[in-house]
Amino acid sequence: MRADISPRAKVVLYGVMCVLLIPFVFPTWWMVTSSMKPISDIFAFPPQLVPQSYDWTTYSKVFELQPFVRQYWNSAYIAAVVTVGTMIISSMAGYAFARIRFPYANAIFMIVLLGLLIPSEVTIVPLFQMFLKAGMVNTHWPLILVPIFGAPSVFATFVMRQFFVTLPAELEEAARVDGLGRFKIFTRIALPLAKPALASVAIFTFLHSWNLFLEPIVFLSSAEMFTLPQALTQYTDAYGGPMWNIQLAAATLTALPVLIVFIIAQKQFVEGLAHTGLKG
Amino acid sequence: MADVTLSDIRKSYGAVKTVHGVDLEIKDGEFVVLVGPSGCGKSTLLRMIAGLETITGGTLKISGRVVNDLDPKDRDIAMVFQSYALYPHMTVATNMGFSLEHRGTAKTEIAERVNWAAGILGLTDLLDRYPRQLSGGQRQRVAMGRAIVRNPQVFLFDEPLSNLDAKLRVVMRGEIKALHQKLKTTTIYVTHDQVEAMTMADRIVVLNAGRVEQIGAPLDLYDRPANQFVAGFIGSPSMNFLEGKITEAGFQTSGGVLPLPKLINTEMGQIAVYGIRPEHFRFSDHPRHASVPAEIVLIEPMGPETQVTMKFGETQVTGVFRERINGAPGEVIHVSPEVGSIHLFSEDGDTRLN
Repeated sequence: MRADISPRAKVVLYGVMCVLLIPFVFPTWWMVTSSMKPISDIFAFPPQLVPQSYDWTTYSKVFELQPFVRQYWNSAYIAAVVTVGTMIISSMAGYAFARIRFPYANAIFMIVLLGLLIPSEVTIVPLFQMFLKAGMVNTHWPLILVPIFGAPSVFATFVMRQFFVTLPAELEEAARVDGLGRFKIFTRIALPLAKPALASVAIFTFLHSWNLFLEPIVFLSSAEMFTLPQALTQYTDAYGGPMWNIQLAAATLTALPVLIVFIIAQKQFVEGLAHTGLKG
Repeated sequence: MADVTLSDIRKSYGAVKTVHGVDLEIKDGEFVVLVGPSGCGKSTLLRMIAGLETITGGTLKISGRVVNDLDPKDRDIAMVFQSYALYPHMTVATNMGFSLEHRGTAKTEIAERVNWAAGILGLTDLLDRYPRQLSGGQRQRVAMGRAIVRNPQVFLFDEPLSNLDAKLRVVMRGEIKALHQKLKTTTIYVTHDQVEAMTMADRIVVLNAGRVEQIGAPLDLYDRPANQFVAGFIGSPSMNFLEGKITEAGFQTSGGVLPLPKLINTEMGQIAVYGIRPEHFRFSDHPRHASVPAEIVLIEPMGPETQVTMKFGETQVTGVFRERINGAPGEVIHVSPEVGSIHLFSEDGDTRLN
């Protein structure tokens, strides 16, 4: 956005942005404030935008009703392993597709990309059967292996390939003259220069794993093994009705690390979006 | 330092042949410039010497050792790229010492050699900077520094000055030449700029369409080009060519009869191409012995000399004169070619006739 827009246009622009703010900010605001309200206040009419009374016990109940710390840890370590694994695999695969001339490279890349077109709902049943045979159901392995070798990694490989394609070939030639082999060129030259692309891959992979919902509910069955999105659905009363304030307290705690990461790495988020060519 | 010998070097990309058998012997310590128009195969040839392109046919020797199938790192060469190819994530010092570091050289020695190279190239104050913080000329120097720290047997330069502005190009040209005189390392330098070739080379190799047209010292090429291509390529403004016939009276063109030099292997009536460099015309404002009339098209005063575009018969020619010429387009002046500086080529331009 250029700074030299007219004051009138500026007023209109800020007006539109304020209106747009409502659908973006209101759900978060409602989630956070409702997590502190007694359940009766959540449904009060007129709605209470600012809580009239606070009930902090919701947060302690989050931890009482479920092994929430354990579930938090599950989500965190799975997302970390998936992120690191995807970064390794996608950077190597992306580099190979971009830089190494091997027979049918483009055709193979196209086939790999086709993986993105298959919805996870289609593959979830065969995957379940496969992991069942391997004795991995109700373990975290499917939640680690499927993203690292599945669609999220394909997408990450695509992002990395697009980056490596733009890296000047002369840099690698200079490195060859300097005495580096292919692997060293990758680790010492290409990879350090790919930091922006790697950062966007890391951010998107982490978010994808953190928010993963379908796979955990299919593969996991005990509360000790649950991840956060799945755990959120378990805050129900004896009749299966949601315990709204506790569920929203848990949701607030779940969203917190993502929010913190977003605030810290806002710039990388935006650059990452630009890298992927997606609109979010 | 080393000799470099190319014997019948060929390069094909599938069915497309780009280099058609180049023979060249480069002596130890020599500065050889490969020059030619875009697509003539000069960069491909250099990249084959570097080991960045495979050699389709022929033999390449460095210091008497056949290196056809060796990796670039095993050829003991250093290359300066057109875009400099400095590693953007490393400082100047790391860039320069990178190859030594990779070869397991001791840190103290790396620092010593980097400081030595930085001293020669005036980079001592810039060692902690990143390439993005440097100007074009400084980057060029770092690229050269990276090449010299290793003390390789051969330096390869691939159009290293083409990204610099005209003024800086002249400065860096001098620096590269001075560096060669200091280090005396065998150097192969690729350029499309014939001025660079003329000013820097011990010997020039003129390439065209993947073939060597002529190899020789700069002034030999200038004074006695072997064919019309070399004659037209070397020299700026380039040589004038006039088509005509060899007769008893002289060289018969559409604009008149021009004096002929001593000829070899020619016959009366033979069609040929008459070449004369712009500075080899003599000017007079009235007819003289052996002068021919030419109509002024354009006068460009340069200060020390005057460049005149003239129409001679059907052909437009350029003359460069020491005199300051006052004339208007359409006026006729009289020019006479210096007989000793005339070049005569066969009709197809492939053979020199004098």
